[in-house]
Amino acid sequence: MSKLRMALLGFAVVLGAALVSGQAGAGPELPAGLMQAKATTACTECHEARIIVQQRLSKAAWTKEVDKMTKWGAVVDPQDRDALIDYLSTHFSVDKPAYLADRLVSVGAKKRQR
Amino acid sequence: MISRRNFLKGASGMALAVPAFYPLLGWAAGEADVLMQGKDGLIVRSSRFLDLETPVEYFNTWLTPAEHFFVRNHMHEPSTLDPALWKLSIGGEVKKPYSLSLAELSQVASHAVVNTLECAGNGRAFHNPKVPGVQWEKGAVSTGRFSGPRLGEILERAGVKPTGKHVMFRGLDEIPGKVPAFIRSIPIEKALEGDTLVATHLNGAPLPKHNGFPARTLVPGWIGAASCKWLTEIKVLDKEFEGNFMSPGYRMPNQPVKPGEAVRPEDTHPVTALNVKSLIVSPSEGTVRSRPLNIQGVAWAGEADVVGVEVSADGGTSWQAAELGNEKAHYAWRLWNFKWKPAKAGDYVIASRATDSQGRVQPAAPVWNPSGYLNNAVDQVKIHVQA
Repeated sequence: MSKLRMALLGFAVVLGAALVSGQAGAGPELPAGLMQAKATTACTECHEARIIVQQRLSKAAWTKEVDKMTKWGAVVDPQDRDALIDYLSTHFSVDKPAYLADRLVSVGAKKRQR
Repeated sequence: MISRRNFLKGASGMALAVPAFYPLLGWAAGEADVLMQGKDGLIVRSSRFLDLETPVEYFNTWLTPAEHFFVRNHMHEPSTLDPALWKLSIGGEVKKPYSLSLAELSQVASHAVVNTLECAGNGRAFHNPKVPGVQWEKGAVSTGRFSGPRLGEILERAGVKPTGKHVMFRGLDEIPGKVPAFIRSIPIEKALEGDTLVATHLNGAPLPKHNGFPARTLVPGWIGAASCKWLTEIKVLDKEFEGNFMSPGYRMPNQPVKPGEAVRPEDTHPVTALNVKSLIVSPSEGTVRSRPLNIQGVAWAGEADVVGVEVSADGGTSWQAAELGNEKAHYAWRLWNFKWKPAKAGDYVIASRATDSQGRVQPAAPVWNPSGYLNNAVDQVKIHVQA
């Protein structure tokens, strides 16, 4: 095994450990829009944006979700509620193409290949 | 065009090490890959909270290796967990409440159960209209040999009072904001069954952290949510636990409803045992060169036994019996195999359909419900057979 290869593998292992403690990186961001910053603050305090961007819901369903999450501690100014629902139901509506999920890098495969 | 992921599949070990940097450089759906120690190649439905789906092609063994075992977390995992300080308390409607250290728990006789664990929301992504929640496709399910003390023995040491009707479990998961704690309960009868465990091991090794180390309940044949991870408290109650994850969470309509229809809470019941289901593991969707083919898969039925799997190569018009694998256990899936020789080149829809000992058969289409639970529709894979 070359030194470069060993160094890269070593870095990958260190990064892997860092991602475990930090729960695997930052994940996707919410799309640009008037409510991007407020949605990010309200939602990603507890969970990453990925759980939002995979949904394909009607406005009625987004309304229920926003109200449930507000009850569960998401900080949403009452005057922002409707705009937040509009933002989510515009970007993540039923007619949007399916979300394509990421895969974990196959650490075990690397070990087996060495 | 070759995608980054396809490139990775054929890449050398050195090339594989490099893409681990990508999460630091930014993410693009479907392209970025994540590295996580102890879990290998899984699909990231969410990384905070951690929800990892097993790719169906990994289900080619009876037991799912720990690194391929799916993960479903409702909350944050315990940020600190020292096994030397860990305690399990047993209380509520019992005569002698007590607690156990991990060392003391390991002194209690261990029992092993091979169980297919499936998230109630597995297959949610295929409901139409879509319903909110983790958009699991096919792989929020895995099979493992769980071992540890029988829950019944742990309870009997405390002496369950006649008033004890339900058993509640609390884990060490960390709850953000005002989110209700992930606490659920099971009926005392199920808790006292000989195969219901306080599991400490998966496939002969201590439970991985993401799967509940150092101890979890294993409620065999039931939805994964019944089996509490990072277990720290067992409490016997005089009635079902009242909390969000018992109601309105994890409930199904008593009667079939039209897709999209609202359901009143009083017209629902708790989701408990899994239903009958099968998956096609091989071939994967795409082009197939070799023929004849071995069509292979898995089939399970919760508390019932799989009695047969049928395969269709014409989209469900005609069906033929598959051969069931020899490995079996009451709560575990069966591997199955069907030898098929395509009559000619072309496009085919391969389908699988399991039947169980209760006479249940997989439906042709998902049975829609507001939370997208228990989707056990006939599995289908589209393939193209080359000449």
